[in-house]
Amino acid sequence: MEYFAQQLINGLTLGSIYGLIAIGYTMVYGIIGMINFAHGEVFMIGAFVALIAFLAVTATGIAFVPLLLLIMLATSMLFTAAYGWTVERLAYRPLRGSFRLAPLISAIGMSIFLQNYVQLLQGARVKTLQPIISGGVVLMEKDGFTVVLSYMQMLIVGLTLALMVAFWFMIERSSFGRSQRACEQDRKMAGLLGVDVDRTISLTFVTGAGLAAIAGMMFLLYYGVIDFFIGFLAGLKAFTAAVLGGIGSLPGAMLGGLLIGLIEAFWAGYFTTEYKDVAAFSILVLVLIFRPTGLLGRPEVEKV
Amino acid sequence: MSGQATLKEAGLTALLSMVLALPLIGLETVEEQGGLTLDTRLLWVLLIGAAVFAGRLGLIAWRSRKTVGTSTAAARRASALGETMHGIMPWIAGAAILFAVIMPFLPFANRTVVDLATLVLIYVMLGWGLNIVVGLAGLLDLGYVAFYAIGAYSFAMLAMHADFTFWMALPFAGLFACAFGVILGFPVLRLRGDYLAIVTLGFGEMIRIILLNWYHVTGGPDGISGIPRPGLFGLEFTRNGDPAFHEFFGLEYSSMYRLMFLYYLILILALITNWVTLRLRRLPIGRAWEALREDEIASRALGLNPTAVKLSAFAIGAMFGGFAGAFFATRQGFISPESFTFIESAIILAIVVLGGMGSQVGVVIAAVIMIGLPEWFRELQEYRMLLFGAGMVVIMVLRPRGLLSKRNPTIRLHAKKAGAMR
Amino acid sequence: MTQRQTQKPLLNVEHLTMRFGGLTAIDDLSFQAESRQITAIIGPNGAGKTTVFNCITGFYKPTVGMLTLHRQDNDYLLERMEGFDIARHAGVARTFQNIRLFQRMSVLENLLVAQHRTLMRASKFSFAGLFGLPSFKAAEREAVELARYWLERVKLINRADDDAGDLPYGDQRRLEIARAMCTRPAMLCLDEPAAGLNPRESAELNKLLLGIRDEHGIGVLLIEHDMSVVMEISNHVIVLDYGRKISDGTPDAVRNDPAVIRAYLGEDEDAEVAL
Repeated sequence: MEYFAQQLINGLTLGSIYGLIAIGYTMVYGIIGMINFAHGEVFMIGAFVALIAFLAVTATGIAFVPLLLLIMLATSMLFTAAYGWTVERLAYRPLRGSFRLAPLISAIGMSIFLQNYVQLLQGARVKTLQPIISGGVVLMEKDGFTVVLSYMQMLIVGLTLALMVAFWFMIERSSFGRSQRACEQDRKMAGLLGVDVDRTISLTFVTGAGLAAIAGMMFLLYYGVIDFFIGFLAGLKAFTAAVLGGIGSLPGAMLGGLLIGLIEAFWAGYFTTEYKDVAAFSILVLVLIFRPTGLLGRPEVEKV
Repeated sequence: MSGQATLKEAGLTALLSMVLALPLIGLETVEEQGGLTLDTRLLWVLLIGAAVFAGRLGLIAWRSRKTVGTSTAAARRASALGETMHGIMPWIAGAAILFAVIMPFLPFANRTVVDLATLVLIYVMLGWGLNIVVGLAGLLDLGYVAFYAIGAYSFAMLAMHADFTFWMALPFAGLFACAFGVILGFPVLRLRGDYLAIVTLGFGEMIRIILLNWYHVTGGPDGISGIPRPGLFGLEFTRNGDPAFHEFFGLEYSSMYRLMFLYYLILILALITNWVTLRLRRLPIGRAWEALREDEIASRALGLNPTAVKLSAFAIGAMFGGFAGAFFATRQGFISPESFTFIESAIILAIVVLGGMGSQVGVVIAAVIMIGLPEWFRELQEYRMLLFGAGMVVIMVLRPRGLLSKRNPTIRLHAKKAGAMR
Repeated sequence: MTQRQTQKPLLNVEHLTMRFGGLTAIDDLSFQAESRQITAIIGPNGAGKTTVFNCITGFYKPTVGMLTLHRQDNDYLLERMEGFDIARHAGVARTFQNIRLFQRMSVLENLLVAQHRTLMRASKFSFAGLFGLPSFKAAEREAVELARYWLERVKLINRADDDAGDLPYGDQRRLEIARAMCTRPAMLCLDEPAAGLNPRESAELNKLLLGIRDEHGIGVLLIEHDMSVVMEISNHVIVLDYGRKISDGTPDAVRNDPAVIRAYLGEDEDAEVAL
């Protein structure tokens, strides 16, 4: 029971991170119908910028943790969003209406480019960061096994929840949200009705990248270790989460993220850590075969 | 565009590039005794800003000149060039094959050259195999390396545990890879194209993780070593072979013979791949692949079973990947999961894409440039993947159908009218 | 017994209903189409005409209803078959409202893909074809001859080796019909074949369709907005409005049906319609 509770906490934490990345996949898929393969790399860049911001700020002598975190968050979101915008502008926008495989291949090229770009500029070795927030609350204690909810985990889950609420309001209430949903329904018609489609798509990439930056920072703080390759696996799993939840659906992305996080934590806790990634991919394949629309997705009607 | 607007546009682009460059290029994380610290490279940021400013201005100027009226002429010239290139393509191909055959006997062909040529040919073969899947059938397979790995490992197992010779094990390596292709393909090929891409990506990773962790069969990260080398009709390429190749032919022993043998082996395997592909293109199955790439809905309305057609492309592509894997295993004598990472899949895909999807000659050119050059100029190696990635984006933006993308009809009703095309 | 069998209609649609979520696109539609006849389905935009086609050709699974195709003494229940099986076994071929050719394949190749099944069998699933066995070569020659016949019929024989995507619009429409005919269908479904054609091309199309009907003895099912085409060549017209059948009969009968006039011109109109 105690062990179960601990894995549950770990799984939810991990799932929050996956969920935030998954939103980026699902939004882009919803609006332009492509898998943004470079999104995992955007997440990785978010983590790197957060690390660099941390180092820059501590170098100036600021040691007040909340301020430090806030600066990291803002910096990471700002720069990563700029990367998200640029990726769309350079690699995807010119290919709208091009043949089917072109944007996918361009996205893969972008992903390879960004990975090696960071590797060349920041080095191939892993970067470690001393924990900034340590300690936690002991929830249960039995037979020498303690269930700990660390402050870090509280921060991650809490921040994710707050972000989700804010994000939901943005999509449902703001004018960007309305344009976003309109473009998702029918891009051409939305354009005819005066929605600036290009701008809406750009903003979608920017918000997706912003959320990925937060996820990247959380990843950095939680694990304390990053390298240029983290985007590959995290991206793959977040995509799995988006598909599991139903691609195109925002609550689905979050739900899928949490489920993938939980599955991974329990698999690692009760079976073997080595095969936890295999478990995640197997789920992806099974979902796609038996329920391609995911848990909360709408069925797709083929236009003939 | 007015001068002021042009300057503003270029200025904004430069500003953006400097924003992008600031954290990742301008600052570098370095490890020191006390932990991580930052180094600054702010000059780089300024240089990048200046370069982007100039580049953007140049691009705008070039574009505005082009729109003034030379664009059609340029396009005509480009298409005329394409037409000529296209006409002499069979000659280029023939000359290339001839060159490949006599290459080991040319004066410059030392051990390094032959060995490098062998490596390039492995990628040519892999590129041709993947070309069936991506170029002809239009299926984006991001886990092609998995079939390469399956071929290599099944060859190693058969050779080590069942005493199969290279020639006996080769068909099985292809068949196993093909079988895996079918097993994976059957459920996922009915999915939309982009789902297929990500599932194959996941599959490639899965195979690698299994190879890494299934210790008592695959040797885990240590891999399998001591894989037998191939022989020519039982003749071995070792100093004390029984019977040994050099003794049989009354030659002095030289390890060069083995390298040359391996070179010819992969040359033959690659040419078989090419021949089969070219034949299949002219058969109903090949036309069905291309039809499906062009329009799946119309294909269905004509009675093509999309899953079956895709599956055949996927399985045949996988089979050639398996053959190449078997060759790789016997050439290296040692395999480990490290040789089968996603990067390999990405390289093979880049070769196919940059070569012009569906073009056999393009694959060769791309493989020579992308494998040969960086191996030759070691300094390039660091930047290789960076350039591959950027190259894929640029090619898709400028010429999404690839560099050599003109295709010949697979069958003609009328004899080709010389010169008077349109 | 045999007497009754030959009297079965080529296509029998019974109580076809198609719903998308809450929207009913087709509501309890029944009609029949015969061999050696041209049956036209007309109706205002959004009446559900293309949806009927998509149900017949297996792209949609109808919510309710039975679609029976009678071919060579066999009954095929189309609502239970996959799209490609319908084309293969039941012999239903179609064209598309927005032309769907294999753009980057030559005109001749387009017509050979349509004969995939025959050729595939002849190539012994590629093994015989790989080594160029004579049996396959013969089958291929035969396929090319069929293609040549249809290219001559649609006057595209000179463009046989050009990419289909390079043809002008009207030629592409005719090529799509030729491609459908190369599957040797029992029924040909044409989705707005005259859309975007000029009067001369339209007249040629009429001749082609009459030829297909009379010389090849197949049934043609036609969706068309161009009333000159419909009234001139159809034997039988079905009018849909909001997914329901509002009229069914000969062109003349339909032209004078008050329900049709209402659907096209609104409630309070009783003038003669210029159909």
